Amino acid sequence: MKWYIAKRLVWSVFAALIILTIGFVLMDVVPDQGLQQVEFQAQTEGQSGDQAVQAYEERRGLDEPLIDRYTSFVTGFVQGDWGWSYEYQQPVTEVITDTLPYSMMYGVPSIIISTIIGMAIGLYSAVNQYTKTDYAATFFSFFGVSIPNWWFGIILLVIFGSFLGWVDLDFSHRVAETADGDLTWLGTADSSHPAFIGENFEGERQIGILSPTNLKQLILPTFVSMTAGIAAMMRYARAEALEYVDAEFVKTAKSKGVSNWRIVVRHILRPAAVPLSTILVGRFLGLFLTGSYLIEVVFGIPGLGLASYEAIINQDQNLVLVTLLVPTFLVLVSNLAQDIAYVVLDPRISYGDRT
Amino acid sequence: MSRESSDQSAADPADSSTAAADGGVADARFEDVDWDRIDSVNRGRSLKSRIWLTIVSIWATAFGGTLFVRYVMGDSILSERLGPLQDALDPTVVEAIPLLSLNDGWVSFPVVGVVELHNWLWWITLAGFVYYGALPLYENPRMTRYYWRRFRKNKAAVISGLFLVVIFLIGFVGSRVTSQPEPEAGLDGIPPVGISTESYNVGPAGQKVADCAGGVCTGTWEYPFGTTTSGEDIFLGVIHGMEISMMVGLTATAASLVIAAGIALVSVYYGGWIDEIAFRWVDIQLTFPAFFLYLLLVYSIGGSMFILILIFGFIEWGGGARLMRSEALQRREEPYITASKAAGANPLWTMRKHLLPNISNTIITYASLSIPSIILAEAALSFLGLGDPTMVSWGQLIADGRDNLANLWWISTIPGIFLFLTVLSFNFLGDALRDAIDPRHEGAE
Amino acid sequence: MSVHTDTLLDVEDLHVYFRTDTGENVRAVDGVSFQVQPGKTTAIVGESGSGKTVTSEAITQLFPSPPGYIPEGSVTLDGQDLTEISDDEMRSVRGGKISHIFQNPQGALNPVYTVGWQIREAVMLHQDVSKTEANERAVELMTQVGIPEASTRLDDYPHEFSGGQKQRVIIAMALACEPDLLIADEPTTALDVTIQAQILNLLKELQEERDMAMLFITHDLGVVAEVADRVVVMYAGKVMERGPVMDVFQTPAHPYTRALLECLPGEGGLGGIPGQLPEPTDPPDGCRFADRCPHAVEMCTEGGQPDLYDVRNTEAHTASCVHFAPTMDPGVVLDGSERVATDGRGRTSTDAGQPSDDEEAEHR
Repeated sequence: MKWYIAKRLVWSVFAALIILTIGFVLMDVVPDQGLQQVEFQAQTEGQSGDQAVQAYEERRGLDEPLIDRYTSFVTGFVQGDWGWSYEYQQPVTEVITDTLPYSMMYGVPSIIISTIIGMAIGLYSAVNQYTKTDYAATFFSFFGVSIPNWWFGIILLVIFGSFLGWVDLDFSHRVAETADGDLTWLGTADSSHPAFIGENFEGERQIGILSPTNLKQLILPTFVSMTAGIAAMMRYARAEALEYVDAEFVKTAKSKGVSNWRIVVRHILRPAAVPLSTILVGRFLGLFLTGSYLIEVVFGIPGLGLASYEAIINQDQNLVLVTLLVPTFLVLVSNLAQDIAYVVLDPRISYGDRT
Repeated sequence: MSRESSDQSAADPADSSTAAADGGVADARFEDVDWDRIDSVNRGRSLKSRIWLTIVSIWATAFGGTLFVRYVMGDSILSERLGPLQDALDPTVVEAIPLLSLNDGWVSFPVVGVVELHNWLWWITLAGFVYYGALPLYENPRMTRYYWRRFRKNKAAVISGLFLVVIFLIGFVGSRVTSQPEPEAGLDGIPPVGISTESYNVGPAGQKVADCAGGVCTGTWEYPFGTTTSGEDIFLGVIHGMEISMMVGLTATAASLVIAAGIALVSVYYGGWIDEIAFRWVDIQLTFPAFFLYLLLVYSIGGSMFILILIFGFIEWGGGARLMRSEALQRREEPYITASKAAGANPLWTMRKHLLPNISNTIITYASLSIPSIILAEAALSFLGLGDPTMVSWGQLIADGRDNLANLWWISTIPGIFLFLTVLSFNFLGDALRDAIDPRHEGAE
Repeated sequence: MSVHTDTLLDVEDLHVYFRTDTGENVRAVDGVSFQVQPGKTTAIVGESGSGKTVTSEAITQLFPSPPGYIPEGSVTLDGQDLTEISDDEMRSVRGGKISHIFQNPQGALNPVYTVGWQIREAVMLHQDVSKTEANERAVELMTQVGIPEASTRLDDYPHEFSGGQKQRVIIAMALACEPDLLIADEPTTALDVTIQAQILNLLKELQEERDMAMLFITHDLGVVAEVADRVVVMYAGKVMERGPVMDVFQTPAHPYTRALLECLPGEGGLGGIPGQLPEPTDPPDGCRFADRCPHAVEMCTEGGQPDLYDVRNTEAHTASCVHFAPTMDPGVVLDGSERVATDGRGRTSTDAGQPSDDEEAEHR
C-alpha cells in the first residue's frame, strides 16, 4: 500500500510538471499584452517601438534564453510568485486571496447541500427503482444535467429580479465588507457605508457575510449551482447504488431481517461509497469550477471565476494562467486523495499487506 | 461445451472472409484452388466502399488545399513563421489549378464558391454519419427493426429524436436559404410576437415595425422572436444557431471519436510503451477540467469555428479513448482476434474488421454523452464572447440580452429554451440508445 | 391434503407476477401449493425458469417489488399469513423464524465488512444482546459450521475465504437466531463437487441437531434423494407432482417427473427433454407441459392446469396430469416407461434415504 501511494505521489508531481510546462508554452505563444502596450505607448510618443520592446524584455527577463525563463517560471510558480496582474494592478496572489472568499460564499454551501441531497435522492431512487418517485427523480436529473446553469441563472434573474422584483439584478460585494473594504462576518454600518450609496436612512444596518442582505443575494447563485450539483451527484449515486441494489449480499441482508434504511446505509452506501468517492470528487469538482465560472459572470459575483473571465477579456495573461491552472492542480490533488482513500476504504484492493 | 463454442466463434470470422470469395471451391483440394483468383477477389472492394473511398479522397484533397491556402498562404500566426516558404508560393500557383480560384485568401470552388474550413468537417461528418450509421441500418432491416422495437419503448426518447430531426432540418436548410441576421440600427428591442414592452425599449425604426400605441409596443409576425439590442432578428439567429449547435456537437464528437478509436485500438493492439505513453497522456489531459482547457486554448489560439471544433475534438477524445481501450482490451483476449492474427491478417485489417466493430457499442455510448456536453461548452464559450464572432450562435444571443434583463428579457430567454431543449433531447436520446444497444443497462424483464 | 395440525409452513395457491415495461405480467409462480412439516425437509425440484427460486423468495417476499407482486395466495407460518403482515413483522420473521441460504456464496457476503460483523449483525437484529455476547455467539456459530480457528477468522473479510468456507459462514449467519425454517436455494450448485457433499452433510447434521425444517430448492434430483422427505416438482410456475420422496422416486407419476428422472445420467437417457418452457407472459391453455409431453392427448391442451389427482389412491402423492383423473387410466403414463421406472426404482427404493457412495458419484 505504501508503495502504491508513493507511486501515485510521484506520478502526480510529474503530471503537475507537465501541466506547468503546457502553461508555460501557451503563455510564450500568446502575444504579451504588456509588451504590446509598451510598444504602442512608445510609438504614440514618437519613440522607437523596438527600443521600448527591448527595454521591456530586459526588465521582465524575456531576453534570457528559453530554458532559463522556463526554470524561473516553474520555480516562481512553485514558490507562489505568480506574477503581476495588469488588470487589477496588484500581484496575482493578492487578486486570488481577494476574490476567493466570494466564490466560497455560495460555493461551499452549494457543494455541501447538493452532495447531501443528491446522495439521498440517488440512493432513494435506486432502492425504489421503477417507482413513480424514481422516474420523477430520473427526470429531474436529466433536467439538471441538461439545463445550462448560466442560462438558468439568467432565467431566475428574469423571473425573480425583473418580474417579481424580489432580488436585485446586481450583486453588491460591498455588503459583505466593512466601510474600509475588509470582509467581515457580521457587523453594522450607517448610511455612509459604500454599500448604501444613494440611500438615506437613520441609524445602522447590518452588513457582513452573514447579514440578511448578503445572504439574500447569495440565494439564487447557490440554488443554481446546486441544481447541477444535485443532478450530477444523484446520477452517480443512483448508478453506483444500483450496482449493489440487486447484489446477492443485499438479498442476504434482507433475508436476515435488516430494515430497508439500514440496508441502504450500511449495506449499499458503504460499498458504493468507495467507487462513488473516486468517480465523484474529481468530476464533481470540475463541474463546480466550470459551473461557478459562468455563474459568477451571470450574477456578477466578484469571485475567482469573474476575475478569470475579466482577465481573459482584458488579456491579463498571468491572471488567466493562474486562475486556470490552480483548479487543475486542485483536481490533481483531489484525484490523488481519492486514490489513497480508495485503498484505505476498500478491503478488496489490497491483499495481504493490510496493516 | 463452452470450449466447443468458443472454438466455433474463433473459426467464424476467418470462415466468413473466405466463404464469400471461394464460391464453388469448398470441396476442392488445396492445390486445386486457384489462390490467385481468390486473392484478387478478396482484395477487390465492393462498389459501396469504392464510392466512399472516392468521396473521401476528393474531400481530403480539397480540404488539404483549403487548409494550405488558409494557414500557409493566408494571414495567420503560422504564416509569419513560414515566411520564406510563403514567398516561394505565389497565389498564382493555386490559380493555375484548373477550376480553382482564390477569393479573399480562400480557395474558391466552381458552383459552390468558397467553402470554409469548418464546413469541410461538417460535410464529411454528415457523410460519415450516413455511411456508418444510416446505411447499415438501411441494409439490415431486421436489425433495424429489432433496435427500433427496443428504442420505441422509451416515449421521451422518441419525442426527443423527432425534435432533434426537426431542429437539424430547420437549421440545415434554414441557414442555407436565409442569410445571417445582421445588426440594424434603430431596429433594436422589438419584443416577440404578442409580447408588449414600453416603447422606450424599442429603437425608432423598430417602433414602425412593431405595433406601438400609447407608450407600449407589441411584437408582430415580422420579427416573431423579436430583435436583439443591436437590431438582429432573433428568429433568424435561432435558426442559424440550430445549425451551429448541431455542427459543433456532431463534428467535434466525430473528430474526437476518430482520434479516440484510433489511439485506443493502436494502443490495445500493440500494447507496451505505445499504450503506456498514450494513456499516461490521457491521464494528464483528463486532469484538466475540460471547460478550463477550452478557455485556455481558445484564449491562446483563437476561436474561429474551425479551431473551436478542433479544440473540442482534440480535448474530448481522452475520456472516450479510455472507455474504448478498456472495452477493446477485453475483446483482444477473445479467440477471433487470435484467429484473425493466425490467419495472417495485417494489424490494420484486424483492428478495423475485428476490434472496431466489437467496440462500436462503447463508441455510441460515448458519442451520446459527448454531443450534448460539447454543445453546452460551445454555447458557454460563445456566451463568454469567446466563440466565433462571425457566426451567430445561441450562446452569443443569450449574452446579448444579459445586460438588459430588466427590459429586454426575451433576448436571453428564447435562444436559451432552444439550447436547453436540444441538450435535453440529446441526453434522453443517448440514454435510450444506451438501453437499446446494451442489454446490461436494462431493468428487470 | 396432509395433516394440517402437523404443518409448519403452508403455501396455498401462491401466485407471483412480475409486471414488465409493456404492462404484461410474467407469471413466474402461478398457483403453487405445498406444505413443510416441522423438522422435515421439503424439496422443490425443477429446471431453471420453473419458478422454484421465486417461490422460495416469495415466502418472505424477498423478490424485487416492484415489478414483482403477489396477486393472490397465502403463505401461512404457524397460523400467521405472511402475505398480510406488516413490513416490521416481516422483518422479524426474516432471519428470526425463516432464514435463507442462497446459491452463490461468492456474492452473498458484503465485501466491505468482516464476516464477524455480518454474523454479529444477524444476531443483534433479532436478539437483545451486547456486542461482546454477539461476538461470542458468532465464534460459536462459526465453530459449529466447521470453520477452524473461528475467533481469529472473525475479523477476516469475505475475499479471504474460499467458496465452501463462505457458504459455511452464510449458513452460520442463517442459523444465528435458531430459525424454525431454513430455506436453502441451490446451496451447493456453485460449489466444487468435493465441497458439495460436505455442505449437504453439514446441513443435514445441523438440521437434526436443531430439529429445524428445511425447504430445499434444487434442480438436482440426486441431491433430492439425499436430503428430502417430501418433493414438489415444479414446471413453468405450476406444481406438476408432489409427494413423499420415496413415492415420487418409486412411482414417478407425472410425465414431466418421469422425463426429469430419465435425464439423470445413471438412468440411461442423456437426450434431455425436447422443446422449451412456454412463454411466461401468455401461458397456453391446459397443462403447461402438454406440448413437450409424449402422452399428451387432446384434453391436455384445454382449460387450465389439471387438478392434482391422487396417484394410486395415496393422498400424500399427487400429480397434476389428466391421466390420473378418476375416470382415466394412469397406465397410459406408467406403462409406457415402466422398464425405466423399475430400473430407477430398483436402486432408489432400497436406499433412497441414504444412497450409496457410488450412486452419489454417478448423480453428479
